[in-house]
Amino acid sequence: MLRKIHDSDLVPYKVIPREDTGLYNAKFGIWLFLASEIMLFGSLFSAYILLRVGSFSWPVQSEYLNVPIGALNSVILLSSSIFFIRAWVALKADDIVKYKKFMWLVIIFAILFLCFKGVEYYQHFSHHEFPKTSVFLALYFLLTGLHALHIIGGIAVNIYYAGPGMYLRAENKQWFINRVEVAGLYWHFVDVVWIFLFSTLYLF
Amino acid sequence: MMKQNLSPSEFKRDIQIYFTIIAMTGLILGIHHLHLGTWGIALIVLIAVSEATILGYFFMHLMTKKKTIHLVLLLTLVVFLTLLFWPAWDVAYSPRTPSEFTTY
Repeated sequence: MLRKIHDSDLVPYKVIPREDTGLYNAKFGIWLFLASEIMLFGSLFSAYILLRVGSFSWPVQSEYLNVPIGALNSVILLSSSIFFIRAWVALKADDIVKYKKFMWLVIIFAILFLCFKGVEYYQHFSHHEFPKTSVFLALYFLLTGLHALHIIGGIAVNIYYAGPGMYLRAENKQWFINRVEVAGLYWHFVDVVWIFLFSTLYLF
Repeated sequence: MMKQNLSPSEFKRDIQIYFTIIAMTGLILGIHHLHLGTWGIALIVLIAVSEATILGYFFMHLMTKKKTIHLVLLLTLVVFLTLLFWPAWDVAYSPRTPSEFTTY
């Protein structure tokens, strides 16, 4: 007798860990993706370090940038990280109301972060400070702009999992929990990148 | 399979870690205001690396992850550091005139 082929038969290890890696596919995939992200941001940090070391003179960065807003954004992003953990824990405990509440808090805090970043950019532009103005500002806009794009991507994913993407929970609860966990790993990574951006760009 | 919920002690631990990282960010700001020069930069980098490590270790669950992830991260780190210090070595030891330096 022919057995009905389910999607889960075609893509193995999407819920249970593989024997060889000890991880389910999505988690292994996200860690490989994060490794490539480390290389991406790492190369830009390397460019920053080499340009700075190789320059005859360099501006006092903290005089160019708004340190209080940068510090506030650090707290906002760290808070969103702890909210994400709470959301994931609530999801595992089947507390959907709490899950949605914390996911939307993550999204709101991420938007708040972008708003403050926008204020910073506005201040720079109103002082006629553009990427073309100096090597330092070019690196600043490149690094923070790329980071902001990652935040925007994260917001899109989080909105999906807090809203329309929840259909998956009805089909396969564990699969959905795993997806949210993977999104959370990405979100924490974006937070880690900000820690380095704030330290190296705003305070040196 | 994953465990289904965090225990109260784990929740308390996560909150403690959150406030620890916030405090470390405050410490970085304090060091910045002390104007310690090169030592200040070294301290700020050290604390930032510690913050990132703590966040990765607890929030990204690196303390419980499988060897595979540690290997992926180790390989990434080795390649990154090689690519970083190879040109840095060249920059540090190549003879240059002031006109060859980058201007900001």
